[in-house]
Amino acid sequence: MNASNGFGPRPGNDTFPKLLRANAQVRAKRPAMRCKDRGIWQTWTWEDVYENVSLFAYGLKALGVARGDKIAIAGANRPRLYWAICAAQMLGAVPVPVYADAVASELAYVLQNADVRIAIVQDQEQVDKLLGESEQLGQLQQIVYDEERGLEDYDHTRLHAISALIAESRDIFAGEPGARAAIEAEIDAGGGGDISIMLYTSGTTGRSKGVMLSAGGCISAATDTVAFDKLTEADETLAYLPLAWVGDHYLNYAQSFVAGFCMACPESAETAQQDLREIGPTFYFAPPRVFESLLTRVMIRMEDASAPKRWLFRHFIDVARQWGEKILNGKQVPLHARLHYGLGKILIYAPLLNVLGFSRIRVAYTAGEAIGSDLFSFYRSLGMNLKQLYGQTEAFLYVTCQKDGDIRSETVGPPAPNVDIRIADSGEVQFRSPGMFVAYYKEDAKTAEAMTQDGYVKTGDAGIFDTDGHLRIIDRAADVGKLDDGSLFAPKYIENKLKFFPNIKEAVGFGHDRAFVAAMLNIDLTAVGNWAERNNISYGSYQELAGHPQVYEMIADHVASVNESLSRDRFMAGAQIRRFLILHKELDADDGELTRTQKVRRSFVGERYAPLVEALYNGSEEADISTEVTFEDGRKGVIAARVKIRDARTFAVEAAPVAEQVA
Amino acid sequence: MSALAEMLQGEVARAAAETLLTVENVSLTFGGVRALSDISFDIRKGEIRAIIGPNGAGKTSMLNCINGFYHPRSGRITFKGKTRQRMRPYEAASQGIARTFQNVALFKGMTTLDNILTGRTLKMNRNFFWQLLRHGPAMREEIEHRIYCEDIIDFLEIEHIRKTPVGKLPYGLQKRVELGRALAMQPDLLLLDEPMAGMNLEEKEDMCRFILDVNRHFRTTIALIEHDMGVVMDISDRVVVLEYGHKIADGTPDEVKADQRVIDAYLGVSH
Repeated sequence: MNASNGFGPRPGNDTFPKLLRANAQVRAKRPAMRCKDRGIWQTWTWEDVYENVSLFAYGLKALGVARGDKIAIAGANRPRLYWAICAAQMLGAVPVPVYADAVASELAYVLQNADVRIAIVQDQEQVDKLLGESEQLGQLQQIVYDEERGLEDYDHTRLHAISALIAESRDIFAGEPGARAAIEAEIDAGGGGDISIMLYTSGTTGRSKGVMLSAGGCISAATDTVAFDKLTEADETLAYLPLAWVGDHYLNYAQSFVAGFCMACPESAETAQQDLREIGPTFYFAPPRVFESLLTRVMIRMEDASAPKRWLFRHFIDVARQWGEKILNGKQVPLHARLHYGLGKILIYAPLLNVLGFSRIRVAYTAGEAIGSDLFSFYRSLGMNLKQLYGQTEAFLYVTCQKDGDIRSETVGPPAPNVDIRIADSGEVQFRSPGMFVAYYKEDAKTAEAMTQDGYVKTGDAGIFDTDGHLRIIDRAADVGKLDDGSLFAPKYIENKLKFFPNIKEAVGFGHDRAFVAAMLNIDLTAVGNWAERNNISYGSYQELAGHPQVYEMIADHVASVNESLSRDRFMAGAQIRRFLILHKELDADDGELTRTQKVRRSFVGERYAPLVEALYNGSEEADISTEVTFEDGRKGVIAARVKIRDARTFAVEAAPVAEQVA
Repeated sequence: MSALAEMLQGEVARAAAETLLTVENVSLTFGGVRALSDISFDIRKGEIRAIIGPNGAGKTSMLNCINGFYHPRSGRITFKGKTRQRMRPYEAASQGIARTFQNVALFKGMTTLDNILTGRTLKMNRNFFWQLLRHGPAMREEIEHRIYCEDIIDFLEIEHIRKTPVGKLPYGLQKRVELGRALAMQPDLLLLDEPMAGMNLEEKEDMCRFILDVNRHFRTTIALIEHDMGVVMDISDRVVVLEYGHKIADGTPDEVKADQRVIDAYLGVSH
C-alpha cells in the first residue's frame, strides 16, 4: 500500500465547500437536497445549495464567526442544518453536531466542552434548552434558528433566523460584488489539513469525547467507499439518521458531496417510513433494529391476512430462503429454481420491497450491532443487496465492509479500501485508515490512550480474522470476562443471541467474576402485545404484560433455546444462562440506561438494579425494586414493582468431544 | 411607575376589546327541565373564554345555543353585532362559528387530510358540477384549499397521519384532527367542547399549547368547556361558571377561584 494515497489528504477538492463549489459547476441543475414541506417534496439543485450556503456563510461571518470557531448544530435532518454544516466549514469554523433529543444538561455539556460560541438549531425546543442552561453556557454568544414558530416573543438580541440571515446576505450580495468574492476567498483559504467536523462519541464508555476529523481525511475515506460501492450522481438517499452520528455525516453528507447524489430529508421523524416509500432510495443504511422492527411488522400483518395469502407468502418466502441468496451472490442455480423465484418476485418479493420502500435499493448497509443470520438472510433472499460494515467515529466510519457477492452474516467483511487492520495480542482490533481521526478535542491523554505507538487506532473491540480474511467481532474487549470456574463470558454475544428473538427487545447479561450467567430482559411490546391479543391475554401496561406468567413461560423457552445453542459452542458452553428475570420497565436513554444510540450501559444497569442482580444470585424467587424514571418533559417519578425470577433450563455440554476432535 | 404603566396597558386593552358575542337572558327548557335560565355573558374578540361548571350545569347546552343547534325559549344572542332570532347550525357556521364536540365527531373512514378539507366546504365557491369536473377553476380552488389545510396540518404537527383514516387513530390525535377541521373554517369564534377530556397529561399539555397558539397565530376567539380546572385557570382570560342552569360567577380566573359560590358548587355544601 502506498502511504501517500492511503493516509493523508489528496490533491484537488480537499474540503467540502470546495466540493460543493465544484458540484455547483459540474452538475448545477441536478438535485442535491430534497425536503418534504407542506406535503410536497421541495428540491434544491447543487447550484441552489451553493448559493444558499454562501449566503448563509456570509451571514454567519457578519455574526462574528472566525476561523477555528466551534459552531454547534442541533436538530432533525433539515436541509438548512446541512447548509449550516457547510457554511461553517466555508468560514473555516468547525461544526459540532449535537444529538437533537439530548436533554438540556447533556447538550450543555457538549457545548461547554467544545467551547461553542454560536449554536445553529432547528426550533423553539432547542432554543429553550440552550436558554435554560444559559448559566452554564457563558461563552455562547449567538443562537441561530430555522423554524420561527413559538419564538416570536423571545428577546431577539442574541437570536437570529436562518431565513433572515440569508435574506440580508442576498441584499448585500446584490449590492456589493466584493461580498461574494470574500466568501470565495474564504473557501480558497481552507485546506485538507483543516478540522472539518467534530463528532461527539456516543459515550458508551464514560463521558462523550469530541472526535476531530480532518477535511482531507474525510474526503479521502468517502472517495474510497463511493468507488467501492460504485455510487454516482444518479443515486439517492434518505437522510433520517441523527445529524450528530458519524453514520449520517459520512453516508449522507460526505458521500453525497463526493459522488454528487441527492439526499432527501423526511418531513418529520414520524413520517420517515412513508417518505422512504415516496423517495425510494438507492443507497440505504439502517441499524439492525430497524430491519428487525420492519420484519416484525410485516410478520404481524401477515398473521392477520387471509389464509390463501398467508399460504402464498409462506411458500414463496421458503423459495426465497432456499435460492434467493444464491441468486443474489451470482452462484449457479438450476433453471426451475430461477423460474420459481422469478414468479415469487412478481407475486411477493417486489410488492413487499415496494411496501417497505426498498424497491430501488442497490446497496444497503447495516452496522452498529450484530445482526441475526435469519434476519440478515431474509432481506438478502428477497433480492436486496444488504451488507454489513464495521466502523467507528474515530475511523470516520468504515473499518471493514463486505464486498458485493461475498457476504456472510456472522462476519463484518474484509478491511475497507486503504484500511490497514491488525489484531493485537490482547485480541483487540486495531486499524489505520484514510479517514482516521486527528485527536480528541482537549483530551490529549485520551488520544494517546486510544492510539498505539506506531499510529494504529485501538477500537476496544475484540475480534478474530476468519481464514478467508473476514473480520469477526465478538464483544467489547473490556467486557469479555470470566466466570468463577474460569469459563469465557462474552456478555454481548449472549445478549445478541437473546435479542434475535422478536419477543425480546433488550437483554443485559451478568456473569463476570460470578458463579454463573444471569440475564435481565425487556420484552418487545409490539411483538408480545400482538401475541397477547391473539391469545386473549389482557393487560393494562407494559409492567403488567412483562410480569404475566404466560409471558414468562414463553421467554423461558427462548432462554432455553439460547442455552441449547450455547451448549454446542465449545468456547461458550460454560456460559449458559442459569437464571433470568423480565424487567418491569423498558430500558430508556432518558434514564441513562441506554446510550443515545440505544446501546445498553451494562455497568450502569447493574448498579441501578443492584437489588435485582443480588436476587438473581442469592436464589430468591422474587425481588422488590423501585427506580426513579425521567418522563419526556424532564420531570421525575418513581416506578416500584415486584419482579419474579426464574431458573432457566440448561444443557449438558454434549458437543465437547466432537469439538476436541476437530481442534 | 410600573403600576401606572400597567394601568394604562389595562385601559388600552379594554378599549381594544370589542365584544364579539353577547348572550342576553337566555333560557332553554326541555319539557319541564330548565337547562338554562336567564344566562347573560359576553365574549370579547381575541380572548379565550372558558365555560365551566359541574356535570349537568348546562355548559354544552350553552354551546349548542350559540351555534344554533338549540333554540333558546327566550333571550337574545348577538354575534358580530347581528342579533339572531332563529338560526340553523349551518347559518352559524357560515357566519364564522366553528366547533368541536365532546365525543369526537369525525368521518371515521376518511383520512385526516380529507376530514380537514371538509372544514373548507363552506369556503368553496364553485358548485357541485364544477367540482365533479375537477378542472380549471375548480382545480385551482382545490389547490388553494389544500394549501390552507396543509398549513393547519403543519401547525398541529400531524404530518405523519395525513393519509391515515381517522378511525385508526388514537383518541388524542382524533381530537387534534377535529380541532384542525374546525380551524379549516377560518372561524371568528371557535367553540371547543371539552377538548381535553380523556387525555393523559402529555396530550393535555400539547393541546393547551395548540389552543394558545391558535389564539395567537390565527387570532381566533375561543370559547371552551373544560373540566380540568388547572387547564382552565392557566389558559383562559375570563371564566363563566354555571350551576344547574344558572350563572353563578363570571370573571378572571383569580376572581372565580376566590368566589365562595364556585367553591361550594365544586366542593359541595351541606344543605
